[in-house]
Amino acid sequence: MSSGTEHEERFRRVYAVNFEALLAYAMRRVEQPEDAADVVAETFLVAWRRSREMPPEAEARLWLHGVARRVLANHHRGGARRGRLGDRLRQRFRAALAVDPGSEVPERLTVRAALARLNEMDREVLMLTFWEGLEPREIAVVLQVNPAVVRTRLSRARARLRDILGDDLDPPGHVLDVMAVRAPEEGR
Amino acid sequence: MTDEQLDRRVRDADPYRPEVVAHLDGVAQNLLEEIMSTPVLESVTEPPGQRRSRPRRRLMSGLASAGIAAAILGVVFGTSILKTEQPGSHEASPETNSTSEAPGTTTYSAMVLKAAEENPRLLIDQPGWKATHVDGFAERAGSITYSNGGRSIRMSWYQASEYDGRYKDRLQISKPESVQVDRWPGHLFRYSEREFEVILQPRDGSMVEVRTATAYTRADFDRVLASVIRVDARTWLAALPAEIVTPERLDERRAAVLADVPLPPGFDPATVNVEGVNDSDQFGIQVLGPVGCAWITEWTRAKKSGDDAALRRAADALRSSHNWKALQQIDKGGYWADGFWEIADTVAAGKPIHPKMFNPCNPEE
Repeated sequence: MSSGTEHEERFRRVYAVNFEALLAYAMRRVEQPEDAADVVAETFLVAWRRSREMPPEAEARLWLHGVARRVLANHHRGGARRGRLGDRLRQRFRAALAVDPGSEVPERLTVRAALARLNEMDREVLMLTFWEGLEPREIAVVLQVNPAVVRTRLSRARARLRDILGDDLDPPGHVLDVMAVRAPEEGR
Repeated sequence: MTDEQLDRRVRDADPYRPEVVAHLDGVAQNLLEEIMSTPVLESVTEPPGQRRSRPRRRLMSGLASAGIAAAILGVVFGTSILKTEQPGSHEASPETNSTSEAPGTTTYSAMVLKAAEENPRLLIDQPGWKATHVDGFAERAGSITYSNGGRSIRMSWYQASEYDGRYKDRLQISKPESVQVDRWPGHLFRYSEREFEVILQPRDGSMVEVRTATAYTRADFDRVLASVIRVDARTWLAALPAEIVTPERLDERRAAVLADVPLPPGFDPATVNVEGVNDSDQFGIQVLGPVGCAWITEWTRAKKSGDDAALRRAADALRSSHNWKALQQIDKGGYWADGFWEIADTVAAGKPIHPKMFNPCNPEE
């Protein structure tokens, strides 16, 4: 086991390297962008408390995504309290994110609306692939499934998204976020 | 549309805006310091004789550190520990606290120790006192009630900035009388012949009120005050009775609370954070509340999606809450469990939730 100082320095490095990736991950998946502050704060808090379980630095990002995924699930259930930790980050977000929603490019809104119509697993595989830039084997670690399952999912998700985009050529007037629209569970 | 075109469209639709990070102005670094000032779950066992004062963290003034600091603010506890571990305990001045040692190997996280060392810690150096109620330790204010037979004393603490307002308020009650509690200056106020309060002046960012919670003669209250001492962090932590859930005990106690509780699909208990130091009722509430909320949410989801099997599982789980041991124990101490069971039964029966009904998804209510 590493000494306290080594351990802390390691956590600092992991935080510095992964903060933005986790912030982006959270922002892509919450209804209100400033909620990402709470998700990021909670994710790193859980990571700190469990940091002795954290894998080597090179693999820490996937582990953190896994933590963030569970924190997000809690967030979407409404079970997560808004923590004090994220308060200042949340406040800063509000200022940094002050943007006219009308300035969003309609094409992007169309694609996000289409993503929102996919089931959760298909959407997550696409987002992890194209927004987080993860390989199928990495996505498999985050989602705790077999890499082969990810490849199959990715192929199917692409096909479904193409179908939806083909059906829906007109951009919507306003879409807040992909997570704002709940997709029906697959196969039901 | 080719795969390549589709992939590009998805990439272009990424809502993340990298320029946001440039506008955070050091907030990310502050967050890191706050996170790292909270106790880690894994304990550090230090052999006797190797304890040392750890270097102060540069940015301990963050919100979280304040919360932890308040969590460790001082109190009164059973003194069998004191009698054996702190001979000559009045020597435990703030200057000597960080290096004074309690005998025996004690297991605390470094963060908890450090936070404790930075705060006043008061104990009653008399046998028989025990913490019977603890709340609010995760915030900048909190209280503990200590009982000894039929007598109780409540100690509350607040931010130092509250001192002036509280002191002025008490001037309406009675004339202040200067007192000292283990050389800590304060003022005593008399509510009646049997009810007294001492307000201790701000120290290390906090102030403390010591108030009689049962009838005392002035002589009795003076005797208790005279035996209140300030001790080192280890002695204070060691004096916490087993029923009190410290950050060190969080994992173990959370597992115990959830031992007979079915968990909703995908529910990770590790995401349920219970901050600070809590008595077992408060701890149980903070652990079981999110579980109840998650089952209600799962029931609602299952209902909406027509998932009958999941709906049955959620209803069964909610009904089973009547048998959850930790919830039954909470019931002995208050009405929280009744509220929990009311909404659990309502949801399980498919009845609508009245907006004024207690709801674990709105824990602030």
